[in-house]
Amino acid sequence: MTKYQMIVDLDRCQGCRACMEACKIENNTTEGTFWMYVFRLEEGVYPDAKLSFLPRPCQHCEDAPCVKVCPVGARFKRDDGLTLTDYERCIGCRYCELACPYGVNYFNWEKPEDRTYGDWSDPDLEPITGGLNPPWSNPALAEPQGPEQRMTAGGGHHKGVMEKCTFCVHRVDRGEVPACVETCPVEALRFGDVDDEGSPISRYIREHDHFRLLDDLGTKPSVVYVGGQPPSDEAHEIELVKARVER
Amino acid sequence: MTTTLGDAGTTPTRATGPGLPQGIGKLTRGWTLFMAVTLAASLFGVYAFFYQQANGEIVTGMRDVGTMRGAPWGLYIAFLVYFVGVSFAGITIAALIRLFNLERLRPLARMAELLTVVSLVLGTLAILADLGQPVRGVINLFRYARPQSPFFGTFTLVIAGYLFASVVYLYLGSRRDAAIMAKESTRLQGLHRFVAAGYKDTAAERGRHETATFWLALAIVPMLVVAHSTLGFVFGLQIGRPGWFSALQAPAFVVLAGVSGIGLLIVLAAVVRRACGEQESLDEYVFSWLGRLLAVLTITYLYFVVTEVLTATYGGGGRENDVTDAMLSGRYAWIFWGSMALFGASLVGLLIQILTKRWSIGALVAIGLAVNLAAVGKRFLIVVPSQTDGMLLPYETGSYSPTWVEYGVVIGLIAMGAAAIGIFMKLIPIVELPEEADTRVT
Repeated sequence: MTKYQMIVDLDRCQGCRACMEACKIENNTTEGTFWMYVFRLEEGVYPDAKLSFLPRPCQHCEDAPCVKVCPVGARFKRDDGLTLTDYERCIGCRYCELACPYGVNYFNWEKPEDRTYGDWSDPDLEPITGGLNPPWSNPALAEPQGPEQRMTAGGGHHKGVMEKCTFCVHRVDRGEVPACVETCPVEALRFGDVDDEGSPISRYIREHDHFRLLDDLGTKPSVVYVGGQPPSDEAHEIELVKARVER
Repeated sequence: MTTTLGDAGTTPTRATGPGLPQGIGKLTRGWTLFMAVTLAASLFGVYAFFYQQANGEIVTGMRDVGTMRGAPWGLYIAFLVYFVGVSFAGITIAALIRLFNLERLRPLARMAELLTVVSLVLGTLAILADLGQPVRGVINLFRYARPQSPFFGTFTLVIAGYLFASVVYLYLGSRRDAAIMAKESTRLQGLHRFVAAGYKDTAAERGRHETATFWLALAIVPMLVVAHSTLGFVFGLQIGRPGWFSALQAPAFVVLAGVSGIGLLIVLAAVVRRACGEQESLDEYVFSWLGRLLAVLTITYLYFVVTEVLTATYGGGGRENDVTDAMLSGRYAWIFWGSMALFGASLVGLLIQILTKRWSIGALVAIGLAVNLAAVGKRFLIVVPSQTDGMLLPYETGSYSPTWVEYGVVIGLIAMGAAAIGIFMKLIPIVELPEEADTRVT
């Protein structure tokens, strides 16, 4: 059976955050929402400072704590390893967000049109954008996905429900790789089926030292980190994104 | 009806003159003022709730953990836990009175049950205020409920089972008093007849009720321990949140629930004593009994706190320590030490009264309010610091401060509860009518 996993090669990652941009464009996420996020971390003090990067998509854990706590089964595991959110069933209790040790969940605190980049209602934009979809909506993604036909792709930025990285379920179901993987200019991100022993991703994992984030919690993440080390307790973020959304 | 109860001398009036006992049906100035204030505050809470529904929860102080550096659970969940905690004492006391035949405490039973029912309803409403999709929540929790979620226990055991059992318990007791009062022809006679629902207070009926309430009490006691524990499990089972994952969460929840509930019951009993002229039935013995129980529970709770803090600080390390540091010496220190000071002062006050055997109702009311304030503080500390300071990946420390919408909803909820108790007091005796009232030919 197919089991999708992602490889993040920390030796290759240069912290350009192109994956974050690709994710935003592909999934139409609103301001302050980062389904894919790249930590830019610093450890130690100059002149002994060390810089490192850590891309953080949803870990699509095999034993996902978010799936366990969801009171209505809106967060669920697919047989192919994807952890998805049915935003038509989600009641917005945010328990999944607190159960997740990786901080990958994003709640829709307000209507997407109030939280989009730029002012979409600006009349000067009308001649340019007229007839197009507003940036928060993508009709192609607002349709039931996969064999279970549930509303799981990034088309639904509806007020009061939870959302997170979907591994680009709509692309994966078409046989493509997630947008971040497609975009990465240095092939730091790879995606594939680990159940197939001969697949490039299986070979890559076999041939390289690797770790999984917060592995000791027993969540069994589907994102495998190659090269580098897990962030230490001293690591702190530099160059923060503008993420705190104020009213 | 062949025999009327209103015959001279046997009317259950006490200190209130002729008519219905305990000032039922009489609109006094104080009561009207109280209702005006609480209803106004309730309306403000309703406005805040709908304002939040219209604009989304962006109007609250809550934000995502992680890159957004916030706390997705705030005041609503802290007060959900607090309200459910308060409900503990009521039904426990009522069940203990029934199971151990604590006759002198009987006047407490009805108001204790009422406190349980009201606070459980408030807890339910606090959840609805918290949900991003409250309407869908009500529907989907029935359609798709998953027992694997720790919330399942909150919805089924606490809200459905426990609340339902408490309502039945409250009703079974009230039925007899309603039957007695229905014999008076007043404006409320129709309501009292309706509540009595054909009950005539014959020996056979009384026996049946006794048996039913006894078994119900016996069933409620284990149920409430389980129910309060499930609320502790909502936090205690989460491995990914430093400060939450602890076997002590559930038992500590039960004990703090007792502390806040008994504290509030003391306050309510003092109010009823004054407002309904129940100085005789709610005597010093009743208050001293509650005071002693509160002292025992407070000591037990402080023991839990010491154990928890010692475990967290002695070993610990890394990001686990960040939460403890924030609580003991960081941004949340004033809440932690403020709560501890209130618990400590209350305990000293109780011990002095226990040792000198001189009880002051005024002091007990102050203590009751103090432990509740402290309990709110501790509930807040259970919910919030683990979110803002408890990230396992190297996110920046977050922050959370509630907005007027959250304060408005919470104050509205408290006011709604107070108003509900106020209305109940004017319809059904909040203190069980005494035995001599039902001397009748059988």
